[in-house]
Amino acid sequence: MMHFAQIFSYGLLSGALYGLVALGLSLVFGVMNYLIIAHGALIMMAAYMTFWAFFYLKIDPFLCILLVTPAFFVIGWILFKVLYQSLMKFSEGEKIKNSLLISFGLLLVFPNLAILFWTADERAVATAYTGKVLDLFGIRLPYIGLGGVALAIIVIIALHLFLTRTYFGKAIRAVSQDHEAATLMGINVNRICLVAFSMGFALAGIPGVITSLHAFNPGISMDLTNKALIVLILAGFGSIKGVLIGGLLLGAIEATGVYIVGAPYREVFGLILFVLILMFRPQGLTGKKA
Amino acid sequence: MLEIENVDICYGDVQALWDVSLTVKGEEIVALVGSNGAGKTTVLKTITGLLKPRKGSVSIYGVLSDTVPAHKIVELGVSLVPEGRRLFRDMTVLENLEIGGYIGRARNGKDENLRWVFEVFPVLEKRLRQLAGTLSGGEQQMLAIARGLMSEPKMLLVDELSLGLAPLIVKNIYKTLKEINASRKVTILVVEQNVRLALEIGERAYILENGRISGEGRGIDLLNSEQVKKAYLAMG
Repeated sequence: MMHFAQIFSYGLLSGALYGLVALGLSLVFGVMNYLIIAHGALIMMAAYMTFWAFFYLKIDPFLCILLVTPAFFVIGWILFKVLYQSLMKFSEGEKIKNSLLISFGLLLVFPNLAILFWTADERAVATAYTGKVLDLFGIRLPYIGLGGVALAIIVIIALHLFLTRTYFGKAIRAVSQDHEAATLMGINVNRICLVAFSMGFALAGIPGVITSLHAFNPGISMDLTNKALIVLILAGFGSIKGVLIGGLLLGAIEATGVYIVGAPYREVFGLILFVLILMFRPQGLTGKKA
Repeated sequence: MLEIENVDICYGDVQALWDVSLTVKGEEIVALVGSNGAGKTTVLKTITGLLKPRKGSVSIYGVLSDTVPAHKIVELGVSLVPEGRRLFRDMTVLENLEIGGYIGRARNGKDENLRWVFEVFPVLEKRLRQLAGTLSGGEQQMLAIARGLMSEPKMLLVDELSLGLAPLIVKNIYKTLKEINASRKVTILVVEQNVRLALEIGERAYILENGRISGEGRGIDLLNSEQVKKAYLAMG
């Protein structure tokens, strides 16, 4: 039983990270129907950026958030202007298809860039608190994982408050529901999309920092994207609140699977869940229609 | 003051409006009527800058509409209540109203504007925290109008208000529009398929047929004209 509790709590810690991983993807898809399948590659790049900042400048990874997040906001801004703005005029289905194509390209470009800069070797940021654990009634919880949970909760609540309490956030939600009606209300839809898209990129920076604290390499991009997509399906596309719950649920189910069948099958349970949800509840657990 | 002069509109190769001219002057209620597919909504989309005319001009309070981006039109003082209401269904009634007053000048007067629209449509105040998509059809139409009023418009354009609503509710909402026109000096252009209703409301009216203006005059006069009786009211 103790063994299960240990594995399960590890699962929840990873689950919070999955939630963070899916957050930016969910925001961008919700607002403009762009499916940025390269989101995992962005997180991987953010992890390497953190690695460099730690290695050369000795900046604590958690502080790196203040560096990586704005940097990715700018990258998102540029990529939107260069690659994605021209898709704005397409219909919903065309947007999904074309944005998928472009981001598949990015999914090739970024990992290869990473191999060029950092080689394909495993890296990890080793801080003073790496490996330190909190002992809670015999269950060992690594500080890094707890930091990740705290970050996930803070970021998701902050984003939720931004989207529900500010004029700009409400405008983002209005645009996500009806571009034309939002235009009639005096909202500059192009600008909202540009900012929301860049925010989605910035939100890749935060899970990137946490990823850098574990062993990682350029190949994790697709794994991260997979996790994000499963969480998105669980949460319901475009649901911000559902993302944390979806992430935790995925983490819990993976952990249970690991306990029953064994660690090599961890990914399988997520994918089975993915298929089951698509078959029986395609609108997501918390979501309205997809 | 809205002046549409000799406007042609095309969707790709398909022309929808031919040489349409229409004027709405201060503080009146004008009706634009016509059957389904006559081009009424196209006229409104042209006014609000969502479509650009191929020929002719649209001037809103002295500003040519194709010289400003679509999202700036509402700042000129023209607010559209779109066909099918187009509410933000997953947002609350209050949030819909706040987005209605998104532009700078309306944000300052938000509290006062809210008080005003609740006075006009008291039911909305009771539904404040409810999602817009869960309101009844009539309440949704009221919310759509209230949302349009939140930007403090000088002119309100109302598209197909009667669509899908019970006649009694439609009558009440039109009565409210008349009051808004009288008490707040808001100019109103109503666009309607329900010709009789619109001609009763409109002090002046235009008839749109197959993308062309085929008649104009006082609402009462048009209502009694042979053209309208024959084509729209199934009389004579």
